[in-house]
Amino acid sequence: MITRKAKQFEHTLSRRSLLLAGGQVALTSALVGRLFYLQIMESSRYEALSNRNRFDYKMLPPSRGRIFDSKGRLLAGNAEAYALNIVPSYTKDLYQSLRALSELIKLDHLYIDELMEKAEKQPSYLPLIIRDDLTQREVARVVVRGPELPGVSFDRIEKRIYPQGLLTGHLTGYVGRVSEDDITSGRVLPNMVNMQNGKSGVERALEEELRGLPGQERVLVNALGRPIKKSIEEAATPGTDIKLTIDINLQSYATSILRRGRNKPISYSDPKVQRALAADPELASAVSETEGFVFEDSLGRVVPPETGSIVVIDIETGALKTIVSTPTFDPNILSRRISNADWGTLVNHPRIPLLDRSIKGQYAPGSTFKMIVALAALEAGIINEKTRFFCSGHKDVGNARFHCWFKYGHGNVNVINALEQSCDVFFYELALKTGIQRIASMAKIFGIGLPTDVLIPGEKPGLMPDKKWKEQNIGQVWTPGETVVASIGQGYVLTTPIQLAVMMARLANGKFQISPQLKQGTPAPDAPEIGVSEASLSIIRRGMEAVLDGKKGTARNYQLDLDGVKMAGKTGTVQVKRITKAERDRGIVDNMDRPWKLRDHALFVGYAPMDKPKYAIAVVVEHGGSGSSAAAPVARDIMTYLFEQNL
Amino acid sequence: MKKLISPRHVPTFSTPLHSNTGATTGWFRAIPWLMIFVLMMIGMVGVLSLYSAAHGAWRPWASMHAIRLGLGFTLMMVVAMIPIHFIRRYAILWWVLAIMLLAVLEVIGTGKGGVQRWVSIAGFNLQPSEPAKLAVIVMLAAYFHGLYPDMLRYIRTYIPAILIIMIPFTQVLLQPDLGTSLMLLLAASVVIFAAGIPRWMVMTVFGLVLAAIPIGWSMLYPYQKSRIMVFLNPDLDALGAGYQITQSKIALGSGGVVGKGYLQGSQSHLDFLPERQTDFIFTMIGEEFGFFGCIYVIGLYTALIFLLIRYSFAMKINFSRLLVIGVAAMISFYVTVNIAMVSGMLPVVGAPLPLISYGGTAMMTVFLGLGLVISAMLNEKDVHD
Repeated sequence: MITRKAKQFEHTLSRRSLLLAGGQVALTSALVGRLFYLQIMESSRYEALSNRNRFDYKMLPPSRGRIFDSKGRLLAGNAEAYALNIVPSYTKDLYQSLRALSELIKLDHLYIDELMEKAEKQPSYLPLIIRDDLTQREVARVVVRGPELPGVSFDRIEKRIYPQGLLTGHLTGYVGRVSEDDITSGRVLPNMVNMQNGKSGVERALEEELRGLPGQERVLVNALGRPIKKSIEEAATPGTDIKLTIDINLQSYATSILRRGRNKPISYSDPKVQRALAADPELASAVSETEGFVFEDSLGRVVPPETGSIVVIDIETGALKTIVSTPTFDPNILSRRISNADWGTLVNHPRIPLLDRSIKGQYAPGSTFKMIVALAALEAGIINEKTRFFCSGHKDVGNARFHCWFKYGHGNVNVINALEQSCDVFFYELALKTGIQRIASMAKIFGIGLPTDVLIPGEKPGLMPDKKWKEQNIGQVWTPGETVVASIGQGYVLTTPIQLAVMMARLANGKFQISPQLKQGTPAPDAPEIGVSEASLSIIRRGMEAVLDGKKGTARNYQLDLDGVKMAGKTGTVQVKRITKAERDRGIVDNMDRPWKLRDHALFVGYAPMDKPKYAIAVVVEHGGSGSSAAAPVARDIMTYLFEQNL
Repeated sequence: MKKLISPRHVPTFSTPLHSNTGATTGWFRAIPWLMIFVLMMIGMVGVLSLYSAAHGAWRPWASMHAIRLGLGFTLMMVVAMIPIHFIRRYAILWWVLAIMLLAVLEVIGTGKGGVQRWVSIAGFNLQPSEPAKLAVIVMLAAYFHGLYPDMLRYIRTYIPAILIIMIPFTQVLLQPDLGTSLMLLLAASVVIFAAGIPRWMVMTVFGLVLAAIPIGWSMLYPYQKSRIMVFLNPDLDALGAGYQITQSKIALGSGGVVGKGYLQGSQSHLDFLPERQTDFIFTMIGEEFGFFGCIYVIGLYTALIFLLIRYSFAMKINFSRLLVIGVAAMISFYVTVNIAMVSGMLPVVGAPLPLISYGGTAMMTVFLGLGLVISAMLNEKDVHD
């Protein structure tokens, strides 16, 4: 019995062992099945996921195209710089690390707070850019202390530099980090967030060409996002170098001539200067200590450099030889993270250095507009060369009295005399007979009140009013008095210095409505014809020649002192404040005795050589006084330089 | 057959493993050389994998692992020298010692986040729940060894067995270490099953366990619950608790058929794979050697387990038979739970891959268990003498 029972039990046990073996087979099969599913059936999906894990694609910024002047001198280039990064997750305490860094390099505590805020918004394993303009010396200083600063690393980057500094501030403009606005407006692609793009000037206008094409770098990263190995997938294509028509030497010369004006340089450390600066905070904020000098006017007062603009243009090609606006700014400081002090100097400057007066400064053209009025009248057949009007020093229109600048009157003058002496009354008569519509359409042929479409962005259009304009914008009927005011380039008429230069270039050219070119090598667009008779134009030119050569010419003292090269032109003195009758009766206060803001703008437009024109020039000296004494000498000096240097 | 069969001696139901001819060479031939060969193969996989886990370096893991393998091998052989009846007689001592160690852990144990699994003894970190598993198997085997088959019918027979299991089970569960405690319970269940528990009892227990699952759920720690929830849906927390599973699956899957090559596993070497030297070492093998590599490793373990099952068939001493089955079950559960976990079939519970994962306790437990197996085999002949 025992044996049978034992046998049965033995049977049960061996069945149990077999069941367990079967269980093991089942477990093994389940595992193999699962691995088959993962590693064979789903393999490609997981391979893709694995690749996404390990590779990070990084944009390689292209080297930005350089900007040269017409002779190949560098205006904007790239210099090697170092960016300082810190990975917060590798630091013991980010704040302490930043504080430690601030002892080695310039980092103000406000900026540290800013960085701390930024660090909180991004994953702590991503590098935080502390500075992107470190010099080699600063790098060395940080490297030495490296062991105490875990998580700190450097990136070699390119920094935009402007070797001409202040001279090209408005021209080249500056670059900056791509802003959110740049992306939403579609100016740059979203993958270029870490790049810089042009913010103003040529940098902005030719952004596409200068930028180049970014490349791509494949970075093998670990789970913390720390790069292990880098390989270049696609090299970046550098941006195109640009050559401008500008001559930097002329630009430099023009800038210094304009800034000096009729004043004398005086050392900044002169006690007299120090006294004046202490007494006048506005003066103090308009001058720069680093420059080392300020100016002293004819009455011995300390004054800041003159404010204004100069544009020189080739009358055949429209190539801009120089385009100056003062005061200006250093694009180098704006291309970096600008310090509060620098920013403060820029925005507190009473004369607004960030304003590019050459294209954005809108001034009444004053007497420089008289050529347009004369041309309109000549072309309309209202006058001829010989037609004379009598100037008694004033003209009454309705019950208003309009004065000539020369209160004793010019007597009987024809159009050439009138331009030579800038007789206002002659043009009052002319304008009343010609009418604003004809004047306005003539003005537009010469570019007054129309954008010149110069490359530099942000150009202001100026304004050439006519009857329709007044009705639409002011809602009133045009009055003859307004025609009288417009005839001497006052009232509503507004132009920019570049428009004035273009006007002169077209007057000198006589055939084509050339427009300004800034980039060398661009084929001049087919300019429309001017369509004004050569006879009329030559009368006007003779008038402008008389301005410098005539015995009574308003700029007779400022003819070029060169063999065979003479200048023709026109002065303009623009009132910025209406002269009341009481003031007129008391006798007009001399410009020099008025506060700067109330002084007249001094204008001069011209071209040279007189017989075979090549260059046209426009000079605007803001609140400079009279056009003949403040602007004409500037034009003379620049034209002299141009022809002497054979530029 | 005329001899009265004592209850301690189960009748032979298989051919002996070795013919008992030469007295001098008997013990040598009794050593399961095939099993030892498989063990060495597994150990080699471990050393090579740990070399790769350290990005192709012996330090810090591979060399230490090789040393431990040597120590473990020695331990196995030393244990094999102990007469099996001696082990059986003093099984209770081992069991009590294991329970005491677990109790000590309650007081002085160290671990992360209030979880106590380690105890430091003489500078070595010991995880007492591992030897406790083996102690329960040995103790159960010893208990069932002394029973007449008839007694298996009575429920009261199982009360001591339940105590043997539940005391250490509860201690491990309270550490808390759900994974190890469940593996202890499963291995013990296999021993009881192999001992011949009546079928109706198996069915009843099975039914009760199913009914208890909802109650058990409510008693889990929040982190254990989240592990299970995340296991069921890894996307719930792809960067948190689901991160390990997700990355492990990516590593395994991207390994494909033949793998990315030795030392070339990007997931492992770029630190996407957590714990690649311990619980997730199989993932790294799968990434570097692909499906074939996985089959090879699983094949080695399966060979080891089937060898043990085959040895158990030849065992004439009930204690030895149950012990060998228990050790086989323990190894099987280690391997299955680990691979199922890293391939996303089970929640992450923290189970090593024995002899391959870096870590001493599980390895020593396995060598200890296999030492007992060899001892049982060497002592088989004593029964017949």
